[in-house]
Amino acid sequence: MTDSNATHTDSKTGTERTDEPTADGIDRRDFVKAVGGIGALSLSGGIAGSVLEVDGWFTDDGHGVGTEYGDYEASDVIYTTCGQCNTFCPIKVRLADESGTGEYSSLVRKLAGNPYSFLNTQPHAQVPYESDPEDVATGDLEGTGEVDTSKWSLSGGRICLKGQAGIQTAFDTYRLRKPMKRVGPRGSDEWKTISWEQAIEEIVSGDDELGHDGLRELWGYAPEDEVMDDWEAVQTGEMSKQEFDDRYEDVLIDTDHPDLGPKANQIVDVGGFRRNFIRNRLWHQGLGSVNSIHHAGVCGLSGVMGFNRSHAGTKKRQYPDIENCEYLLVWGTNPMVANKGPTWLAPKLTNAIEDGMRMDVVDPRLSKTAEKADEWIPVKPGADAALALGMARWIIEHERYDETYLRNPDEDAAEADNEPTWSDATHLVLVDEDEQPKARVGDLDVPGADDDSFVVLDAATGEPAPASEVDEGVLDVDITVDGRAVKSVWTLYRERVFEHDLEEYAEMAGVDVDRIDELADEFTSHGKRAAIMAYRGPAKHTNGFYATRAISTLQHLIGNFDWKGGQITPYAGYETMSGRYELGEVPDGHEPWGIPLLRGGVNYEETSLFERDDGYPAKRPWFPVAPPMATQELYASADDEYPYGVEALFIRPYSNNHVMSAAGGDTIPDVLQDEDAIGLIVASDTVLGETSRYADYVLPEPTYLERWENFGTYPNKRLADEKISQPTITVVPDARPFEEVLIDIWKELDLPGVGEGAISDADGDLWPLDTAEDFYVKLATNIAYDRDPVPDADDEELELFEHAHEKGLGEHFDLEEWRSAVTDEEWPKAVTVLNRGGRFEQPIDDYAETFAQRGHDYDYAGRHPDTNAYEGDHMRYKLASRVNFYDEISPTGKHAYDGERFDPLPRVADVVHYNRDVQVPVKTDEELDHDRPLQLTNWKPRTQGMHRTTGSAWLRETQPENPVWINPEDARERGLENGDRVRIDAGRRTVEATVRVTGGIRPGVVGTAWGFGRQGGDTTDTTVDGEHRAGATDGYGHADHSFDTPGEDTAGYAKGRDAGFAVNHVQPLDDELGDVGLSDPVGGSNAQFAAYVEIEPVSER
Amino acid sequence: MTRTDTATTRTAAVADAQADLYGLLAAILDGETDVLATVMQDGSLVDVTATLPVDIDAAPLECKEVDEDALRIAYDNLFVVPGPQYVPPVASAHRDQPSEAFESDSPFHDEGSAGELLGDPASEMSSLYDRAGVRPSYGDFPDHVAAQLEFLAAVTRLEAQALETGTDDRLERFRTYQHETLEQLGWLDTFHRAVAATDGPDGVFTALVTVARTITAWHARDYSMAE
Repeated sequence: MTDSNATHTDSKTGTERTDEPTADGIDRRDFVKAVGGIGALSLSGGIAGSVLEVDGWFTDDGHGVGTEYGDYEASDVIYTTCGQCNTFCPIKVRLADESGTGEYSSLVRKLAGNPYSFLNTQPHAQVPYESDPEDVATGDLEGTGEVDTSKWSLSGGRICLKGQAGIQTAFDTYRLRKPMKRVGPRGSDEWKTISWEQAIEEIVSGDDELGHDGLRELWGYAPEDEVMDDWEAVQTGEMSKQEFDDRYEDVLIDTDHPDLGPKANQIVDVGGFRRNFIRNRLWHQGLGSVNSIHHAGVCGLSGVMGFNRSHAGTKKRQYPDIENCEYLLVWGTNPMVANKGPTWLAPKLTNAIEDGMRMDVVDPRLSKTAEKADEWIPVKPGADAALALGMARWIIEHERYDETYLRNPDEDAAEADNEPTWSDATHLVLVDEDEQPKARVGDLDVPGADDDSFVVLDAATGEPAPASEVDEGVLDVDITVDGRAVKSVWTLYRERVFEHDLEEYAEMAGVDVDRIDELADEFTSHGKRAAIMAYRGPAKHTNGFYATRAISTLQHLIGNFDWKGGQITPYAGYETMSGRYELGEVPDGHEPWGIPLLRGGVNYEETSLFERDDGYPAKRPWFPVAPPMATQELYASADDEYPYGVEALFIRPYSNNHVMSAAGGDTIPDVLQDEDAIGLIVASDTVLGETSRYADYVLPEPTYLERWENFGTYPNKRLADEKISQPTITVVPDARPFEEVLIDIWKELDLPGVGEGAISDADGDLWPLDTAEDFYVKLATNIAYDRDPVPDADDEELELFEHAHEKGLGEHFDLEEWRSAVTDEEWPKAVTVLNRGGRFEQPIDDYAETFAQRGHDYDYAGRHPDTNAYEGDHMRYKLASRVNFYDEISPTGKHAYDGERFDPLPRVADVVHYNRDVQVPVKTDEELDHDRPLQLTNWKPRTQGMHRTTGSAWLRETQPENPVWINPEDARERGLENGDRVRIDAGRRTVEATVRVTGGIRPGVVGTAWGFGRQGGDTTDTTVDGEHRAGATDGYGHADHSFDTPGEDTAGYAKGRDAGFAVNHVQPLDDELGDVGLSDPVGGSNAQFAAYVEIEPVSER
Repeated sequence: MTRTDTATTRTAAVADAQADLYGLLAAILDGETDVLATVMQDGSLVDVTATLPVDIDAAPLECKEVDEDALRIAYDNLFVVPGPQYVPPVASAHRDQPSEAFESDSPFHDEGSAGELLGDPASEMSSLYDRAGVRPSYGDFPDHVAAQLEFLAAVTRLEAQALETGTDDRLERFRTYQHETLEQLGWLDTFHRAVAATDGPDGVFTALVTVARTITAWHARDYSMAE
């Protein structure tokens, strides 16, 4: 080539090109002629393939990749939070351009992830927080992709199919439209619509037609100290019992048992969401009732408690630092599908696996996560603790624990070893004491430190010393100090682990010894870069607390907490309830007190009922070391009036549909239908569900796209964030957020916490609480001002806020009402937060500038030298506390059946009934007393969020019903083939299902997805104001068709909302109680994997 | 001047000829050495290079008696078998910097210290193919030189057809695809140097890549002038 050619720098690759021919230096005719002379062009089988057959190329359809897209502006977008499952993703609501003339304020064109949030942009980086919403919405932000050339842009983040189907949740034709009052008996599905005024009046004052009392009559309250002082006076004879009765009979539940608390406790709230507003403010401080209950008992409560008690600091979940983890052991959870959550974790896990992370999965069935694992370990359901303690035994025998870590007795010693956390392994325990507490300096004659300091044996001196003053403690201790027998926690833990040999553990877990060896070896072969992610699988058994503890403490052995690639504990967020406004405090509010209805946090024998009921066994279970959230106990407790009756029940079953979600929930309707058991039932719901069907009044509730909320932040992220939900559209004009209904009721009752002077700001000035905005705009303001306050929204952004909300909410948006909830100075910062759907920490400082240069395709949090996610080899947000092999709190609690203290250590235990009869033998060799040999497990469906999403035909199309999985070995024995209809005999109930024959489930175990087999959610025929409406059951909305064969996704039609069977309705009932499923007495969870079944064909093929 | 205005300087015949040449080069660079042998024996490719306004030493491309086995071995050594003579025929391998997007997040190497296969160039070509709705048959990777040239041949052929009929409203789209592909071919410079260093200045494949580089540069020049 010559130097005469032009130089050209390629604009995209930056490659400099030289030696190009000049444009006019070529004779095109000669060129054409010369090319025409290439004989090879006609070679058949030669370059024929290069002369492409282009017919069919570049058409506008048929390729699966669209080329057309519509432009829109920031005023077409409102950011909020998804409520389709409990992952609660930050999302973007793209409002429709044209919204027709329906009752709704706006249609929704599409839902997507919120690109401001790192939770929904994985594996890419989020857009900088200060980015102009206009640039973000239009995809014009520098550093993001371009729709024209890349097919996509970061204007929308990642969302799952459940999230996309939120449109069908909001616009469900079966939505409740007006307040309704039952006409016939409860559950008769006959209703009449009433006005809001009538509903509130009857709830407050009672109604002769239905024959219920109102809250005005039911409510009563007196402060605890006043009551108990007088009660003390009665005991000492200073006050007569009659005087006490006269004084308190209108306000106490039972003047013979004042420890039950005020009558306010008999007004019970059940609902999972809006805890800050409804539970804390209205119920606890407004009403003075202890009984506002969320979903925990039917969720992962035992897991949460097991994790929590394994750490001195707050740690409710187990998650790895995925990006840097070399070995991940996933245990009884399915993060590709669930567990906060698919859009966030699935891409991270996938990339980590691609980058070389090894992942093993412990699960009785081959979940979506297990499919991608290096090894799938199908453990026997209920025997997780055996597997965990078997691993612990191998680790201890092979001395594969981090001894340096374990010998650090306190913070200073840990810090000297560059360890953010330390364990209690060296701490001494007073083993001769009844409760076996850890020894404190004050218990033994040990000099130095304060009396409450733990005591260890100093490795340097061989003498007992305060943990805080020792560099290195002795691990194995079994001595007498000051005349008192002590053992170290490590000694006790070791003794526990060595109660069984590996063969016994393997037998109990149903996992080979070799496999246990390999798991333990692998887990301890990566230093700090190994971690466990566990959740409901091991936890939802009656032994779930101990199983979770056994799994948790495996990580203590390697001390992986707060290490890059290890176990992370970041609850990092922004202040919501205080700061500019003290939203959690009610001026002159009541203080709730008394024994909770669900008997959590209280030892039976410490109550006055112990004497009344002649000691053990208690009539129903108590949960002395768990919070009062054993939700499954609610209805039968109300029926038994134990410890007291429920006068009024307020339920928000959109998130707490216990008839479906509790094991044995099929027994609940009997209680709900009994007006003597519960005098008044008020439900606030979006549709007529299984639980709300039985209410006296059903009040139409907005869906999550139409209301406020502040869902909790994730426990598995590297950076801080705080999400906020806000109304984006209004679909049902008469639907009212329950907060506002309760505000009206509380005003009628003249209760504190609402109306004038209900909220105090940082200066002590009082603000009114009349609307939801009065609370949530202040909450957004608290978020905005935490740490370094967010920038003010400029005039353009303020205008954008107004336009977007006017478009979305129409006449339901009152700018002045929102704006006046905070000061003029605060408003522009609140708008900054609202315009982005929350607040999301930036991965590095000066992020916007760097982002503009490097774009979205970079893991700033993980790889940039100035990351905000890490400090050297440690996470920036830390647990930074002691981790506990030994839980001192557990033995303070006693089993309500026989008074036996709970165990401070992890242990293997059978799955048992309240009376300790064995349901699932794990430790014992007990023979089953029935001929149903198959254990029935269950899981969250891949394409449903909760029961609340089955209204979506899009989702039902992906999986029309829930087939029951069975291993080919078990199928062969029973003559079953894939797709057969079968009868599932669970003992007390028999249901029909379709069978899926698959090697993806452990032999001897069958399983299915929950969320199906609905008997509400508009699957029933109802009559409203005399008009009959058919239920959304089989065949509605579709022509004749055939359905899927399990495992062969071919048909794709949605069945009715009632398709399949409800797995919770074939769970066993507790032998002793007979009216509810089994419960974990320590952790408080409902046991949901306890059924044994037999399966047989419905008919001959 | 827009891309459509380029039509004033490009005729259907020229586009057609370019498409032919791209197709030929794509086939040869995908390993169809029998095609290469044919054009070497009839000297037709040398005739084409003679029409180009640069001094290309095309002598190695003309040979009456071609040892096809030797050609095949030379091709395999250069472009197929990783070894001392291997010159990867994919764009990702010739980028100066590892792609940020596709650098592995692996904890086993530091930022910017490792290259990658299937990096940004592959991603961008793949995206281009997706938008066009096709997947070239040549090349193992989206940014393989044969795949890129095959795609270029196709869209240039369509441009020719559109110019011929004068009624095809998709002309702008075809030209956009051409332009984007040509932008992605900047790596041919470093590829050419690498081939020359291995195959030698008198090597057949050195000459062949020279032709490819020149013809695409000419085509790109059309667009740069148009813009």
